[in-house]
Amino acid sequence: MLFDNTDFNFDIGFFKIPGSDFNVETRTDKFLTPEEGFMRGNLEKGSFIPYKKYTYFELKAENEQERMLLRLMALSFAINDLNLYLDLHPEDMENFQLFKKYANELNDLELDYVKKYGPIVVNETDGEMFNWVKNPWPWDDKGGSMYV
Amino acid sequence: MFKYVKHLNYPINIKKKDLKMAKCLITQFGGSNGELAASLRYFSQKFSMPDEKGKALLNDIATEELGHCEMICTMVRELTKDATVEELKAAGLENIYAEHGKGIYPTDASGVPFTATYFAVTGDVIADLYEDMAAEQKARAVYENLIDLTNDEDVLGVLLFLRQREVVHFNRFKELKDYYKKKGY
Repeated sequence: MLFDNTDFNFDIGFFKIPGSDFNVETRTDKFLTPEEGFMRGNLEKGSFIPYKKYTYFELKAENEQERMLLRLMALSFAINDLNLYLDLHPEDMENFQLFKKYANELNDLELDYVKKYGPIVVNETDGEMFNWVKNPWPWDDKGGSMYV
Repeated sequence: MFKYVKHLNYPINIKKKDLKMAKCLITQFGGSNGELAASLRYFSQKFSMPDEKGKALLNDIATEELGHCEMICTMVRELTKDATVEELKAAGLENIYAEHGKGIYPTDASGVPFTATYFAVTGDVIADLYEDMAAEQKARAVYENLIDLTNDEDVLGVLLFLRQREVVHFNRFKELKDYYKKKGY
């Protein structure tokens, strides 16, 4: 079967964000860290299938906003991939704990991010004006972080 | 119900204009194996899933695929936004420009508009899940063709990410199909 689990040896560096301590992670036997999974597009160990010579590209944050947003996106990614797995394995307590850990961390980080840089979901809009409306929107390429 | 999250599923920052690539890439928005067809396929099929696992998985993958539509459109926009009319003509995009300017419209690589006939809903859980598995494989194959067509790392990184999501979704759909088969569907 084409996509049955095959072990693949990665010849790549770890995900590193300057000034971060994000490389220390809880992992379970089944899943990679949020950053490892996010860069690959696949959180599950052993199921990454590369194409030709390509593996994946490193993501680099250039400032504090990008650093926070990249972590936030990596956590969102990990939560989404665990979400799909848990849809089929709601009884897996170990990985449900991992899901909760990431969900809590995302909530805390998002509160911090939103205070500094504006809302990510509309009900987080706060402050002097309705800044939900503000550029950049995710499909804009200028005027803000490359990651938004 | 849906709630919008104001960031992309994966970062996109394309610096180089590439109209020919944009012309091909648009098919992953509005083509038969594209993200819009994927999203609407799973969204529509979720209403006839027989139990919690099927309802949850189809709902959640449909939602993710809508985010992938946004990524493809963002890439096409970034690849084309600075193009002059002369450059659009040279890339064979004058017909697209005539209809849509520099707007983003769901078509395949030949300019054929999106249609719901690209996907099926049979009400039969096994037939639908086999279609979903095939759809993920076809989308993976198209991403590989697109990867072959570019050397731009800003584009490649995103395509590799999206391609890998097809791998993950295929595995989940296969697992769900096997589970329903065992249950006697």
